[in-house]
Amino acid sequence: MSILHARQLSAGYGPVTVLHDIELVVEEGEIVVILGANGAGKTTTMRAVSGTIPRQGSVELNGHDITKLSPDAIVRQGVAQVPQGRGTFPELSVHDNLRAGAITRHDGSAAVAADMERWYGQFPRLAERKDQRAGSLSGGEQQMLAIARALMSRPKLLLCDEPSLGLAPLITQELFAVIERLNKEEGLSVLLVEQNANLAMHMASRVYLLETGRIVAEGSAEELSADDTIRKAYLGF
Amino acid sequence: MELFLQRLFDGLSQGSVYSLIALGLVIIYRGTGHLNFAQGEMALFCTYVVYQCGEWGIPLGIALPIGMLVGFVMGATVEVTLIRPIAKKSQFAVFIVTLGLFQFLNWLDGAIWKDQPLPNSGVGSSQQSFPSLFPNKPDDFVNVFGAAIKIQSIGVFALVIVLTGLLFLLFNRTKLGLSMNAVASNAESAKLVGIRTNLVLMMSWGIAAAIGALGGVVFAGINSNVNLGLMFSVFIYASAAATLGGFDSPGGAVLGGLIIGVIENMAAGYSDEWIGQELKVGVALVVILVVLLVKPSGLFGTAKVERV
Amino acid sequence: MKTIATIKSGGTASWAIRLVTAAVVVYLMFWIPTSASNGMIDSCITALTLMAAAMSLNLLLGYTGLISIGHSAFFGIGAYTTGILVSRYGWSPFQTLAVAFVIAFVVGALVSLPALRIKGVYLALVTLALGLVFPQLVKAQKLEWLTGGARGLDKTGFRFTKDNPTYEIFGWNPWGSLRGENVKPFHYWIAMIIVIGVYLVCRGVVKSRAGRSMIAIRDNETAAAVMGVNLAITKALVFGLSAALCALPGSLSAIRTGNVTPDSTNITVQGAITFLIVMVVGGAGSLWGPIIGAGLFVFITELTGDWSDPDQIPGIIRPLFSWSNTPPGSGIFAILLIVLMFVAPFGIVGMWRRLVARFVTVTPRPAGTGTIESVVSAPAEA
Repeated sequence: MSILHARQLSAGYGPVTVLHDIELVVEEGEIVVILGANGAGKTTTMRAVSGTIPRQGSVELNGHDITKLSPDAIVRQGVAQVPQGRGTFPELSVHDNLRAGAITRHDGSAAVAADMERWYGQFPRLAERKDQRAGSLSGGEQQMLAIARALMSRPKLLLCDEPSLGLAPLITQELFAVIERLNKEEGLSVLLVEQNANLAMHMASRVYLLETGRIVAEGSAEELSADDTIRKAYLGF
Repeated sequence: MELFLQRLFDGLSQGSVYSLIALGLVIIYRGTGHLNFAQGEMALFCTYVVYQCGEWGIPLGIALPIGMLVGFVMGATVEVTLIRPIAKKSQFAVFIVTLGLFQFLNWLDGAIWKDQPLPNSGVGSSQQSFPSLFPNKPDDFVNVFGAAIKIQSIGVFALVIVLTGLLFLLFNRTKLGLSMNAVASNAESAKLVGIRTNLVLMMSWGIAAAIGALGGVVFAGINSNVNLGLMFSVFIYASAAATLGGFDSPGGAVLGGLIIGVIENMAAGYSDEWIGQELKVGVALVVILVVLLVKPSGLFGTAKVERV
Repeated sequence: MKTIATIKSGGTASWAIRLVTAAVVVYLMFWIPTSASNGMIDSCITALTLMAAAMSLNLLLGYTGLISIGHSAFFGIGAYTTGILVSRYGWSPFQTLAVAFVIAFVVGALVSLPALRIKGVYLALVTLALGLVFPQLVKAQKLEWLTGGARGLDKTGFRFTKDNPTYEIFGWNPWGSLRGENVKPFHYWIAMIIVIGVYLVCRGVVKSRAGRSMIAIRDNETAAAVMGVNLAITKALVFGLSAALCALPGSLSAIRTGNVTPDSTNITVQGAITFLIVMVVGGAGSLWGPIIGAGLFVFITELTGDWSDPDQIPGIIRPLFSWSNTPPGSGIFAILLIVLMFVAPFGIVGMWRRLVARFVTVTPRPAGTGTIESVVSAPAEA
């Protein structure tokens, strides 16, 4: 049973349908990357999965139907999301941002505090800025905060919407390294949307290629890069 | 000096009421960005409920929690049934609905509690006497540096300080408070960390109305009566307080309320010639105008940080 | 929905409808003062007063998107200007209208200066404070020599005595002796002329270039500025004009009742709220909205005026309101307002237009042959 299985998923904004009948699978312990150009429907896919926009079709989490759930309920089912543009709480301190990330947990404050120390260890920059307002952090730091906050909920599945957006390549690499390590060490399943094919393909277990709201290709990173037409048309290397 | 201290404490107790109503305004504004024009009238309704309890022989100590509970339920109900659905249409629609609520509640209070309409009656032409939470007989004074300070003033002031402390704990130590802060900061993201934003907003309105009920009861106690126009001017002072403190800062609302109360009493007291009792309300207008023109985010409010 | 008729704008059918409407309106206009009871004429004057005030507010809120809950202050300025000039300086009431207009225009434009920086609900707060300050100001002891303090002013209207029994227009006297109850039709006509005047001004402004600037500000301020609308001047002028127009019904109320007191409803904030509510119920951003809203408000208030006595309530609905110690008019209207916001945000006029659009198709004139009817769209975000 796959951790996430979306069938015939369609979604859009008002009268405009952006996403047409896509099928999407994330297996336990996989890093799945969705690649596509601007306007291909990557962010819409994320929103449709997380329930922040109206959708048709079905979304299953560990075999349970979550199509009808509201976004906050989906989070409580174990799907954490790092939205595009980071979506931190700018007026709250870094520390409170992390506390908010753990708000769905009921395993006691000691466990939460332990996790917090752990992510401060992973992201020392956040530890230094613990009491600073999140809004005053740099873009890269905010992205780290957004990821750390998502991880505070101990998700089964992490949704990441273009984490590299607006970040320097070095910081992106650092970020991806953290995601990869979590995947290896903790078995965290990840669904990641990216425009930057080059970087993301390295760590992907499987890749979906999205074009104008439809999946046009699917396979392992090696398979897709081996296909010359796909490589030239979509991956750009 | 004595006169100064007396005015100071009168101002602080008066200002405490503004703080309470302003707190309600701020708690609601933080969540949704709506200004609840019915805040004063919701408080007034609860105050009448407490009055009615008194008529039925229920002691004030029990009637007050009942009134606050009624406020909580009313606030929560209003949010769920009126504000939430209409907020999807526009800010303007919310404004009109709170104004409609204002009108409705003012009528309802009169319909239930006004004895007989007087000829040519303006607002508040009929009034009922109302007990004070604190001793307020003519000889209930304490002597502070030679000034006779009403026990009631001290009591009211202390009450607001305690309540502020409790709210501080709520906002900084509890999950509900954290959720409210998160929703205030970024409602979309709040959903994405699993916060039940709808529940948070409902609670915010409930808490705001309950605090308002307390404010209404305190104010009616200070005035020794409750009437239909009781909250008219309080609302505008409270708005001035919230503007001064910053519309998204609960602490600012409390301090703003106290400052306005003191300014108002000092202005009326020391400048009897020009301002006097009649034009006290002008203080509110001036404060609102000056703050909005000089520092629109108020003393403690945050100008929203927008990063791309 | 099936279209049952198609009407060409500017065509014969369209003109026929307009003609019939106009005929009915004019007939009623003349029927009321000649044939209706004195009580009814009185109610009509009340309604006309409210119509003018609501129309003035509509210009500001409905068309420009600026909120005011303090228009009672401008109404008060009108009432007090007339009151002071007539009772203290012996002016003829008609002459005072112009002065009231000018004073209110200046005050309104001054108030608008902060409005250039303040938006939405904050502007509502500032105007609300203004509305609360005004009655206190005229009550102030320092101004008692002028405003009469808390007692207010009396003898502020026409005084028809044995020596001066009527009002003649250049020697023409259409009403006969105006002493006693006969004066009502006279007041009615003053009110009617003010309403028609305010309507024509609003209509003229709204359909002009300035009106399009206002609507642009309401719908998207930034876009309006980019398109070359001068925000500061437009807002200041609209605020001034709106205030000035609101002063006219204020003057009218002083003329009609013969006294001015700081506690009369339309001068207190309650008045400002009433103007706003009737305008929104009728339809913000439409010329007829305030007229219909004000008419309905007065109708409901008059109908339920004696309902605090349960015996006066019609049988079927008696259990609904028999508990109420006060007439339920304002409560009913408040509920109507809230319900309308849910089902018809553009008020009764908006609802009517939607209804008509279901059954009748109006084909516009070919482009370039006339003015385009202003499109009703959402009032700006508050």
